[in-house]
Amino acid sequence: MAEETYPINLWINEERLEKLQAAGLAGMCKEVLAGLKVLAVPNTAEQRDKVLKLFPMAKFDTATTKSIELLPKAVKDKIFDLIVSKKSLDVMADFIKSQEK
Amino acid sequence: MENIGHGGKEIVERVLPKDAAIKRVAELKAAKVKELDVRLQMATEVIDIAYGFFSPLEGFMTKADVDSVCNNMLLADGKTVWSIPIVFDISEEDLKKSDIKQYDEVLLTYTGNPFAVFDITDIYTLDKKEVAMKVYGTTEDKHPGVKRTYQYQDKFLGGKITLLNPPKINEPFTRFWLTPKQMRERFKEKGWEMIINHQTRNVPHTGHEWLMKGAYLGAYGSMMVDKPRGGVLVNAIIGSKRPGDYIDEAIILCQEAQGKNGYFREDIFLTTCSLWDMRYAGPREAVFHACLRTNLGCTHHMFGRDHAGVGSYYDPYDAHRIFNKLPEGSIGLKPIFNLDWWFCPVCDEVTYMGLCGHKDKKASFSGTLIRSIIQDGVKPPRRIFRPEVFDMIMECAEKYGFGNAFVTEDYLKRRNPVFTIEPLK
Repeated sequence: MAEETYPINLWINEERLEKLQAAGLAGMCKEVLAGLKVLAVPNTAEQRDKVLKLFPMAKFDTATTKSIELLPKAVKDKIFDLIVSKKSLDVMADFIKSQEK
Repeated sequence: MENIGHGGKEIVERVLPKDAAIKRVAELKAAKVKELDVRLQMATEVIDIAYGFFSPLEGFMTKADVDSVCNNMLLADGKTVWSIPIVFDISEEDLKKSDIKQYDEVLLTYTGNPFAVFDITDIYTLDKKEVAMKVYGTTEDKHPGVKRTYQYQDKFLGGKITLLNPPKINEPFTRFWLTPKQMRERFKEKGWEMIINHQTRNVPHTGHEWLMKGAYLGAYGSMMVDKPRGGVLVNAIIGSKRPGDYIDEAIILCQEAQGKNGYFREDIFLTTCSLWDMRYAGPREAVFHACLRTNLGCTHHMFGRDHAGVGSYYDPYDAHRIFNKLPEGSIGLKPIFNLDWWFCPVCDEVTYMGLCGHKDKKASFSGTLIRSIIQDGVKPPRRIFRPEVFDMIMECAEKYGFGNAFVTEDYLKRRNPVFTIEPLK
């Protein structure tokens, strides 16, 4: 059985898509809802718990999206920038570390 | 008799004209009647009672009414359907301190200004746990309606209300708040014989838009087409908010944007609001909404999936089934039951559970999903979210939400009140 992940959904507009294309990551986006693109950033259960602790306004939506939701835009922007600079979706350990400082 | 409301009773406004009200306040002050300053929920419900939104209620419920509503979903007259207790609470300490007794006249104030006269006919206690179980089907205080019930003080006052000082509805809500009588006048002006109500506390995506269009098409089918004879009334519930909800200003202005931008013809579309703190009572709240909208003069009311529900306390279609349990003719409008609307990538359109054969490929419009997109500031495709509506959300976030389209603690502290009660002069 595949390991369960607890994603953060980053919604992709044209500006974000251009940056992902430049980083060679555009293919990682998934199309949902009439062509709208989303990039699902994986988290382990431990990372999910840390994110929810660091940002108490966020919640894990077990009912519908099965993802970490209600993170402020500024937080999601930081995660996105990290993805682009690292050219990888495997950024949550670094992100959490940067926030715990 | 005109303006017949819920329960077959005429809508009567319990509001004194200004001159009479000023005189009445002077008399009450001279007689040194007891005064009580009320909190926002009570002020809101005083307004609702006085203008007939809660007709046939003429005041806050007595114990007999509350017991009957809880046990039988009827008022104490034994025949009028009513599903949610409308109560006025007071602490034991305040009751003692004010020395209020049965049959006293009490001057209610709000934010220190004279507001209404309350003729006390009953002073009572309630078993809040029993009320919670009967109204909400649970005693868990995680349920927001149950929590509200438990937060009530321990004593309750019942009796008639007369409004002395009408509210000043503040911007941007001014043009959207119409009393039941004003609403009915507006329908007459528009030539509407059929009014389909859409209950909402959301900004609209195209799933909501099609829900309304579907109901309109269904209800309008039997009418002559020589001129518009009916329309969709969006009646947004404006009231207490929880962090994460859409801000009230975005709800009302985004609903209006659908008509302003032609997604509905303006002559068949009207956006309004009612003041009410949602109880999230699911099926019982659906019945309450039907009573409220009957008083507004509506002929039809949409009930969608999980109408007025919260968490997993109710089955998604409990709010449909409850109407089958009501005595025939006890509700003055026709419920329109909606199943799910979704986006189908095969049909490449917003479509309806009752029509689309690609259920396994559906993309649902979950509120959380749409909120997630909006929170990222990403404009969704127009088939999902109208660009003008999205632009209006962003405008409201800046203008009213302190940079956020969703309720924050900051918004709750700093927002402009929906209404104010000004000095009476």
